[in-house]
Amino acid sequence: MSDIPRRTFLKVLGTTSAASCGIAAFSCDDRREAEKIAATQAALTPEQLTWGKAPCRYCGTGCGVEVGVKDNRIMAVRGDTASPVNRGLLCVKGYHLPAMLYGKDRLLYPQLRQPDGSLKRISWDEALDLVASKFKGALEEHGPESVAVYGSGQWTIFDGYTALKWVKGGMRSNNLEPNARLCMASAVMGFVTQFQSDEPMGCYDDFEFGDDFIFWGHNVAEMHPVLFSRILETKRKKPGSRIIDLATRRTATSDYADMYIEFRPGGDLALANGILHLLVKNDQVDHAFIKENLVFKRGIEDPAVIGYGCYEDQADRYVFKEEMKDASFEELKTFLADYTPERVSELSGVSVAQIEALAKVYGDNKRGTVSTWCMGVNQHYRGTWMNNLITDLHLITGKIGRPGSNPFSMTGQPAACGTVREVGTLCNRLPSDRVVTNPEHRAETEKIWGLPEGTISEKPGYHAVDMFRAMQRGDIKCMWIQTTNPWVTLPNLHRFERKPGDGRFIVVSDIYPTPTTEVADLILPAAGWVEREGMFGNSERRTQHWDKLIDPPGEAKEDAWQMIQVARRMGMGHLFPWPEDDWHRPMFEEYRSFTVGNGKDLATYEQLRATRGLVWPVVDGKETRYRYAAGFDPYVKKKSGVHFYKAKGYGEKAAFWLRPYNPPPESPDTEFPYWLCTGRVLEHWHTGSMTRRVKELQQAVPSAYVEINRADAQDLGLKDGDWVRVTSRRGELKLRAKVDGRGKPPRGSLFIPFFDEHLLVNVLTLDAMCNISYQPDYKKCAVKIERA
Amino acid sequence: MMPLWRHARVIAAVCCLGAVAVSCNPQTSAKPNPPADAVVQTKADSKSLERAARRAYDGAPPVIPHGNLGASCVACHSAKGIQFGEMGFAPPMPHETSPGKGPGKFARCTQCHVFKETDEVFVENSFAGLQQDLRRGSRQNPLAPPVMPHPVFMRENCAACHTGPAAREEIRCTHPERGRCNQCHVAPVTQTEF
Ligand code: SF4
Repeated sequence: MSDIPRRTFLKVLGTTSAASCGIAAFSCDDRREAEKIAATQAALTPEQLTWGKAPCRYCGTGCGVEVGVKDNRIMAVRGDTASPVNRGLLCVKGYHLPAMLYGKDRLLYPQLRQPDGSLKRISWDEALDLVASKFKGALEEHGPESVAVYGSGQWTIFDGYTALKWVKGGMRSNNLEPNARLCMASAVMGFVTQFQSDEPMGCYDDFEFGDDFIFWGHNVAEMHPVLFSRILETKRKKPGSRIIDLATRRTATSDYADMYIEFRPGGDLALANGILHLLVKNDQVDHAFIKENLVFKRGIEDPAVIGYGCYEDQADRYVFKEEMKDASFEELKTFLADYTPERVSELSGVSVAQIEALAKVYGDNKRGTVSTWCMGVNQHYRGTWMNNLITDLHLITGKIGRPGSNPFSMTGQPAACGTVREVGTLCNRLPSDRVVTNPEHRAETEKIWGLPEGTISEKPGYHAVDMFRAMQRGDIKCMWIQTTNPWVTLPNLHRFERKPGDGRFIVVSDIYPTPTTEVADLILPAAGWVEREGMFGNSERRTQHWDKLIDPPGEAKEDAWQMIQVARRMGMGHLFPWPEDDWHRPMFEEYRSFTVGNGKDLATYEQLRATRGLVWPVVDGKETRYRYAAGFDPYVKKKSGVHFYKAKGYGEKAAFWLRPYNPPPESPDTEFPYWLCTGRVLEHWHTGSMTRRVKELQQAVPSAYVEINRADAQDLGLKDGDWVRVTSRRGELKLRAKVDGRGKPPRGSLFIPFFDEHLLVNVLTLDAMCNISYQPDYKKCAVKIERA
Repeated sequence: MMPLWRHARVIAAVCCLGAVAVSCNPQTSAKPNPPADAVVQTKADSKSLERAARRAYDGAPPVIPHGNLGASCVACHSAKGIQFGEMGFAPPMPHETSPGKGPGKFARCTQCHVFKETDEVFVENSFAGLQQDLRRGSRQNPLAPPVMPHPVFMRENCAACHTGPAAREEIRCTHPERGRCNQCHVAPVTQTEF
């Protein structure tokens, strides 16, 4: 209270009273509104509802919720106190889950686009026949590379597995990609290049066991709110525990940080190397651990050779070939000589004292260190490198595979791990760490699927951005998009505008109309969340099952069902030989057979139904809290320490990658003098197609805005709420300025959230991407801003 | 076996459909009379409507009913709460906190409670949420202390809602000085077995 001037305080109270009749007074208008609401709420008791369990529909935290149902409608949810993830707590999105399914414009029937652009309701039979004939026609005429399925990290395991089997085993194409390519592909490649097996080793218990929590470009308070609560609780219970926020702008997370360290976009590459430099120089490395567990590797490092995936000939198709070379600890020393604190400070904008402080944190072997990251590191022109570097910090200090000391990559989506990474719905992957380029992996997959040898193509398909580029060129004729909204989320969005009569056929399955259904030729209504049975897998390798709790509205059907019906109509019914009324269990058991004995063993269907999820590998019915760690992981036979048993190619050791600094693909200049960063807000989920239909969430953050530093705003004569125009080399966007909002960018830097389908920030962004993961960089490009 | 008080509540519940929105008359109900200990609150008062208007359903975190004051929430929503003259009373937090050490996992209030920036909606929504259950907790006998009628999780600080200016008349505690509520009033079990 005391720190806001009295005049402002009175003004705020005054405004409030005018707008909503103040704190105490409850006006006639309010009463009428309240009565209206009360009339729509039914007076029941919690005991009269039937409660079922489900993971939250939204973020990768994977909170458990209990869902209260009456007469086939959800009436309430509550945080599941039995869930080890959230222990009863949710965030505002989770608490407002029920309304998410009841927007008045739910898609209820299949609808076909007419030549005049209007939509006509058709039957499911007509719709499925049409999709089957279009895919079949494209396959026959143009081959397997002309079809594509673009799915989602919000797909259930069943949806993802169905898509994988149909696309790779049925259509013999590898053009299967998820929106998660835009979200955590760099993390996949980070883990794969270092451990030859995807996904983190730690679990959420790290947030209680750790002492220092270092967030690399990760706004935990808004993106993984309940995990942030767990960390705040640790801070209360454990004096001396610290939050260290490394970021390019101040966020809600920074408010709770013990140390806030701001770096320049792209400067994180230099910063990580700077910390490594000091650790090696001060001999704060764990030599015994290095000797026992590490190999050193390096690859192509010259930015002129690598490029950014968006310029010249890379602008149409970007495929990078890494050349892995052996390196050594001695070579690392020479490599790091370039990264003195002074030079790193110049490259990153972080002061020498702060770099030294960070080296001290990582170098202190007595304290547990947890590094977390999410989109800031993954959506990065060198995202895989950044993943490597953060893990390197843990490898070289031996701070890995122990409770409270781990590099911990967080996923944004609820099944980015469970469906995309584990099932393998990526253009080069097969289930459980298998890839299409490995003949053994293809053979194993064909065997489980009962398909003739040589069915699966060895050529990786298009990665997400290239997939849409290929469609624009006309190389892809037929695409099915499910549970995602690419016409909001693709970078450099103008590139992908559809022209009428372009000869392409796009099918979109969703629960609500979106800018993506607007460009679709056929729209199919999907069942959402608990309107169907499902499984998600969260950021800590926890697989969670839920039963169907209510019927979907109208004729909406689950995504997997839609694909199975089309596959049957294409003569690929043998891929899904299960009875119509009981296919989830046998499908899951078939999928599970890919994981058993592979170090990624999933629990049985019955176990998952009966529990609040289990953390894999689940061996003999027991979950594994810490992967690779002796005493925790049944695959590790050692008495103590760690064993990276999945990394057969590295002699069962982890790879430390030497990764240099490369400059960003586009930096501010005189014409476009500002950095632009994009991202999310707590209240909205991704493109807002669900959360904007929830009154409380929409009314809290009604539309997108551009955050600008107060000093920059003053220079430009701007006040909070003024209309501005933000322009990049690719497009322009008119929206309102936000000064001193919850996020505060430094001078010369702007931030725009991407949830607003009417204010599309992606018309501004650049389609530069990570050279190894092909994940686009949404966090940095150059723009200008002026009063509109 | 279902505890006795639960039976009582279920029977009572049948008779009190619409307890808030429509006043319910047990006399005209075809169902058996509720046991004497399950008293039904039938009055639709403005306080309970106000409460309902701030929540998506009973159990949802209320939307913040005032503008962003730019201050720390707990500055006003403190242990005792604060009366702001005519503006109203800022009640204390009902969540468990340990004094002197900060609110820990509940420190970030806006993780669950959000401001309302506009009255407009994006698309109409037909969600109809669970209403507050206004029956009092059941008693084993007329002199026994009532069982708590709602889960206690995140409502550990009973005084926040049952005492002081924020306490609605029908739930105001007659004996706040006794302090340790759960010595006599036991909490219902909320965890569900699936
Ligand atoms: S959005 Fe994430 S943090 Fe919030 S309730 Fe859902 S899973 Fe939990």
